[in-house]
Amino acid sequence: MKTKFTNLLMAGALALGSASAVQAQDQGLLDTIIERDSLLCTGHNGSYLGFAEVDGAGEWQGFDIEFCKALATAILGSPDKLQIIPVSWAQRFPAIQSGDIDVIIKVTGWTMTRDTELGLQYSRPYFIGPFYVMSKTELEAEGIADLEGGVFCVNSGTTVERVLTDYMETNGIDYEPLAFEKGEELRAAFYAGRCDAIAGFGPFLSATRVNADNPDDFEILGDVLALEPEGIVVKQGEDDLLDVINWMVSALLMAEENGVTQANVDEMRANPPTASVGRLLGSTPGVGARLGLSDDWAYNVIKTVGNYGEIYDRTVGEGSRYQLPRGLNNLWNNGGLLYPLVLD
Amino acid sequence: MSQIFASQKFRRTALQGGFILAVVALVASVILVGKSNIADQGMATGFGFLEQTTGWPVNFSIIEVTGRSTYARVLWAGLLNTMLVGFLTLIFATVLGLLLALMRVSSNTLMKLVGTSYVEVFRNVPVILQVFFWYAILTHLPSPKQAYTLGEAFYLSNRGIMMPAPALSGSDVVWLFAAVVLAVVYLVLTRERPRSGPRWAIAIGLTFIVFLFVLLTGREPDTGLISVPELKGLRFVGGLTLKPEFTALLVGLTLFGASYIGEIIRGGLLSVDRGKLEAGRALGFSTFQINRLIRVPLAFRAMLPSLTNQYIWLMKGTTVGIAVGYPDYFAIVSTSINQSGQTMELLALLMGGFILINYSIGFLMNMLNERIKLKGRS
Repeated sequence: MKTKFTNLLMAGALALGSASAVQAQDQGLLDTIIERDSLLCTGHNGSYLGFAEVDGAGEWQGFDIEFCKALATAILGSPDKLQIIPVSWAQRFPAIQSGDIDVIIKVTGWTMTRDTELGLQYSRPYFIGPFYVMSKTELEAEGIADLEGGVFCVNSGTTVERVLTDYMETNGIDYEPLAFEKGEELRAAFYAGRCDAIAGFGPFLSATRVNADNPDDFEILGDVLALEPEGIVVKQGEDDLLDVINWMVSALLMAEENGVTQANVDEMRANPPTASVGRLLGSTPGVGARLGLSDDWAYNVIKTVGNYGEIYDRTVGEGSRYQLPRGLNNLWNNGGLLYPLVLD
Repeated sequence: MSQIFASQKFRRTALQGGFILAVVALVASVILVGKSNIADQGMATGFGFLEQTTGWPVNFSIIEVTGRSTYARVLWAGLLNTMLVGFLTLIFATVLGLLLALMRVSSNTLMKLVGTSYVEVFRNVPVILQVFFWYAILTHLPSPKQAYTLGEAFYLSNRGIMMPAPALSGSDVVWLFAAVVLAVVYLVLTRERPRSGPRWAIAIGLTFIVFLFVLLTGREPDTGLISVPELKGLRFVGGLTLKPEFTALLVGLTLFGASYIGEIIRGGLLSVDRGKLEAGRALGFSTFQINRLIRVPLAFRAMLPSLTNQYIWLMKGTTVGIAVGYPDYFAIVSTSINQSGQTMELLALLMGGFILINYSIGFLMNMLNERIKLKGRS
């Protein structure tokens, strides 16, 4: 009855147009999401392999999609309450500003312009993206310098464009740039030989290589162009939602650090090995109320998508066809850069 | 006072003035509300970003553009790219369209068949598919090392079509262009003179002399008069390169546009009253004279309005270039939006640019229409 009344109220407010915007702003996006009972998260216009792709059954799959599911589960208790909105790279910022999506989970690099001028707010990095160059094996290049004068293809409008420009200028390598709007077209041009090399994000290159008729025709060169920390993005001022996101990422990492997996999470919850695991899984109260969620949100997340390592393996790592090494995305105690925050 | 209100002229002016004021107020309030909303979201507004450097390169441009160029310059390069491919398309599509129209109205069955099949095929396939098709063909050519060659001077590879070209620098081309414009102006100014021989010779001669002059003076030392492409490492150096992106877009748009323009011209030719042609024949005109003096002028008058539409459409059609990586104005604006985040400003610039180009086409065509239309009729 109460929800019906609230719905009615919302409908009335919507009819007033601007009034609803004011109300939404006052109550915060997190409350709006809970009220709406669904989370609007980013997909992709096409496929960004390994991160956001549509499988044979028409379902969204991938690393970013798993994080969308995790967030929906944390806030609303179920991954089914997630709505994936396909947007292009370019559309993601206007889309979040206009409220078409609640959150951008779309390997979005943390840049100063986006953080300040675009009025966005970043979560702590949930993925560390290295940029590499992949070239044709037949060119026998050992490093990027061996590709002097070649055609380098990139996705237009991404940070890769700038990263490559900087690298080539710093190292005094002459090259011909060629930018494509869509990943599919970029890939097709590369396979056909229009480009000698493509520069891009490690996972993207890895997916491109796997999808070639003969993956051995292409090799990723060792030179790292740059490293980009990827964060989850919300509108400036949505602090409550950002807190949930940060602690969700932390929970996934903490679960991995403590050996909590999708399979053993029930057992761990019943008999927590340490006090902090007990707090994480809601065996002892505290983890939920402070974020405005239920105490079992982290438990639900891990039950639904597993810990960080499991998500990684399933979507882009050893357990997937992309075979992307963990590398910098490992936990700090395994030679990576990731670490959980302190749950007290 | 009441006399003023009684005046119909005053009332009409006041009504119109009031309407214009209301429209201006509406537009201004939309802009102001938008601006304050954007400011509320903590986003930067205004055109200040145009002075910032982009940090990303552009694959193809007439003017020099690098990652250190400003947004203003890169956008200008994009607009020039759109105009380049657009105007070349208009020229080629018109020539091809004319040929198609002549084939379709001819009495030769084979010609008719070829013309008709062409129009049916190219008119009925979406232009973006056609551009993709040509791009796929061009990028599946062999790599530079295995390129097809004609006498070691012309090369065909997946990097484009390479051909020898006069060794001109950028500023030489500007001079040459100026000379051509001057020659055209000279021709226009002297068109009323009865004897037409020498003025053509003078115009062409002038252009040629400027061409020779810049070719001989503007070169870097120790380079030939003709720059021939040659393979160096991964690429060809020298000569003129038609990149696959540019070629695919130009060919796709031209072939598509020609099928429409051909039909417009055919319609124009068929609209000419048979009686007028027969009248010409009765006066003893030859077929050429009938075509030159009666048929073409009348047909031109009939087809000009639809032709204007088609030209403007084709100009807008250049935006499919983004699909094959050709950096036209739309593609550059799209990338700029993503890199700078100034969505509203850039969309305004995008619309402004296309309005400028297309309004100019419409203006010129309307001027032409005004000159050739039947006087005394509206």
